[in-house]
Amino acid sequence: MGDQELFKKMSQAIIELDKDAAVAAAQEAVSVGMSPLKAIEKGLQPGIQTVGERFEAFECFLPELIGAAEAFKAAMDVLEPIIAKMGENQDSNGTVIMGTVKGDIHKLGKDIVVLLLKTRGFNVIDLGEDISASDFMRAAQKYNADIIGLSALLNTTMPAQQEVVSLLKEQGIRGNYIIMVGGAPVSQNWADEIGADGYSRTAEEAVNLALDLMKKKAA
Amino acid sequence: MSRVPFLDVVDRTFEGKYMPQEDFDMKVFVPELRKVIEKYKIKYDSQKLIPDDDDLADRIFQAGMEFYQNVGTYCVDTERVIRFTEKEILEALHTAPDKVAFGQGRDLRWLKSRTPESGTPPFCFLGAVGMPVSSDDIFVNLIQAFSECDLTDTITMPSLTHINGRTVRPNSPFEVMAAIRSARLFKEGTARAGRPGIAAMNAIACASSDVAKIAGSHYLRPTDGWMIGSTAELKVETPRFNEIAFVRDIGGRILAETTPLFGGFCGGPEGVAVASVAYHLHGLLVLRGDCQLHCPLHLKFVCATAPPVLWALSAGAQAITRNSHSPIMISPFLAAGAMEEMCFLEATAAVTAIVVSGSNLEAQVTYGGATPDLTGPLTPRFSAEVAHATAGMTRKEANDIVLKLVDQFKADLGKAPAGKRYQEAYDMKTGKPLPETLEKYEKMKKKIGEMGIPFKI
Repeated sequence: MGDQELFKKMSQAIIELDKDAAVAAAQEAVSVGMSPLKAIEKGLQPGIQTVGERFEAFECFLPELIGAAEAFKAAMDVLEPIIAKMGENQDSNGTVIMGTVKGDIHKLGKDIVVLLLKTRGFNVIDLGEDISASDFMRAAQKYNADIIGLSALLNTTMPAQQEVVSLLKEQGIRGNYIIMVGGAPVSQNWADEIGADGYSRTAEEAVNLALDLMKKKAA
Repeated sequence: MSRVPFLDVVDRTFEGKYMPQEDFDMKVFVPELRKVIEKYKIKYDSQKLIPDDDDLADRIFQAGMEFYQNVGTYCVDTERVIRFTEKEILEALHTAPDKVAFGQGRDLRWLKSRTPESGTPPFCFLGAVGMPVSSDDIFVNLIQAFSECDLTDTITMPSLTHINGRTVRPNSPFEVMAAIRSARLFKEGTARAGRPGIAAMNAIACASSDVAKIAGSHYLRPTDGWMIGSTAELKVETPRFNEIAFVRDIGGRILAETTPLFGGFCGGPEGVAVASVAYHLHGLLVLRGDCQLHCPLHLKFVCATAPPVLWALSAGAQAITRNSHSPIMISPFLAAGAMEEMCFLEATAAVTAIVVSGSNLEAQVTYGGATPDLTGPLTPRFSAEVAHATAGMTRKEANDIVLKLVDQFKADLGKAPAGKRYQEAYDMKTGKPLPETLEKYEKMKKKIGEMGIPFKI
């Protein structure tokens, strides 16, 4: 089997949400000596990106997005040890700390952003829900994050986003991180008011915004 | 014959089957939903956004019953699944009240169950639906104006974002104080309108914690309503049980609030319709609802007016209202902001679908319900006028009108205009609409009347 055919097989396994097929294709790539980074870049990434685009267009729904992410992860579990052994580093678009702010236990919107960020090459640390400002700060420091993503679904929990920004300012480390805010009640005005770097209304806008902000940071 | 006792339900949050949340979502909820959709041959039809097939409605109900029996409700805090037997579900349906009283004195109103194509005007639960407002003055003006509208049966309050210049922070004393102040301002607003007995039905909008909700309740009456919600999909948190315990003790009324999401774990419109039935059962059994409030939403556009969501809303409501006598209301979120032309078109489509499908109405969320002060009394009044005008309309007639309306706004759902803030559309001193606001209202009412909505006046 040629490289192109194997790439297609990996991509197709992700698109069909077939975890077993994704693992088998990744194992096949390893057995024929294919570079694992190439397998990810040309096989797995296009597959997960296709599912991400279909989700954005509402041609498929959240269960399919999660299924694709699980297949992707299963294949990555095969390839990652090889990458580690080779001492190579996969190119990443950046590290993102994500979480739903203190007092808010809603996770769905945040989880979708996490999945879509992963499909676009970000290393995402998902802290979960009901996360305090200090926990966001500690995680950002621990993982040397580029971006902190703050989700809030309730009008009443939006101020907790402001608390994170304030804490980082107080500690003199606000400039170290890009801060993005989102969630149903959040708006651009609110993001401006609290001094966040970016706001997006939808999950896919959040991913594009993250890519743009990372480009600006690198410039 | 009796509904499963509340204490037994709480027991099940500790003794039900342990399951990680991810497994509940992906290994139970999603496959079981797909199974019943296929088994009962439920299919979305983009040309029949308001289906008129009674057999389809009944199949959706059967699918929802079977689905809920197999899935149950997930308790997020204990990571356990609360399940019910078929007999328990049937008993809950049988013993549920078919009407509930809200308010006092001459402002007492009965929320009753309806059926598809019923000529009985729907119960109109009108107001701000928890939309945020930035000041006490706007809050009171709104409550007064909602109360002054004769079509308002009960009021849905806004949420205060600030008190005394302080941001209302969650789980803080400010949240508790804002909840208390909301209840007091509500009384002030209704008294100014001469309707002191009218009920607040969404106590208390700005309270996300059980502590704040209970604290604010100090100024409410058992004839008000307590909205107790769940999270998507079919999940409940322990603080909601604390609230239920309190409301039961004071003899208050509970509105079980549920929000199935199109594009989320429910998948497409068929899943949302079936999940609506499951939520109805969850609302009766777990949230102990005296009545139910459904808010189906499009995950991306945060509205109920996208065509597949309208279908799901209508099909799900018909399934419930044909097979359960427990009264339901639907709260249709609109993508566009208040006083925008698109907002009027969306409101007409959604309200028409709701009314002819047998539901009652909560109105009106605009522009996703998130931005402070983007609300006002004319939008819910318009929705109520549409609701009264369309009672008794056939589903087929309604479908023809709704298809025409949807064609005018569906391409704009992802780029809906924000509309006007209260301060820009109303006189802050008198609370009356500015002349241009009233002119726009009359113009849109005329336009929509010409499209086939038979307004009474």
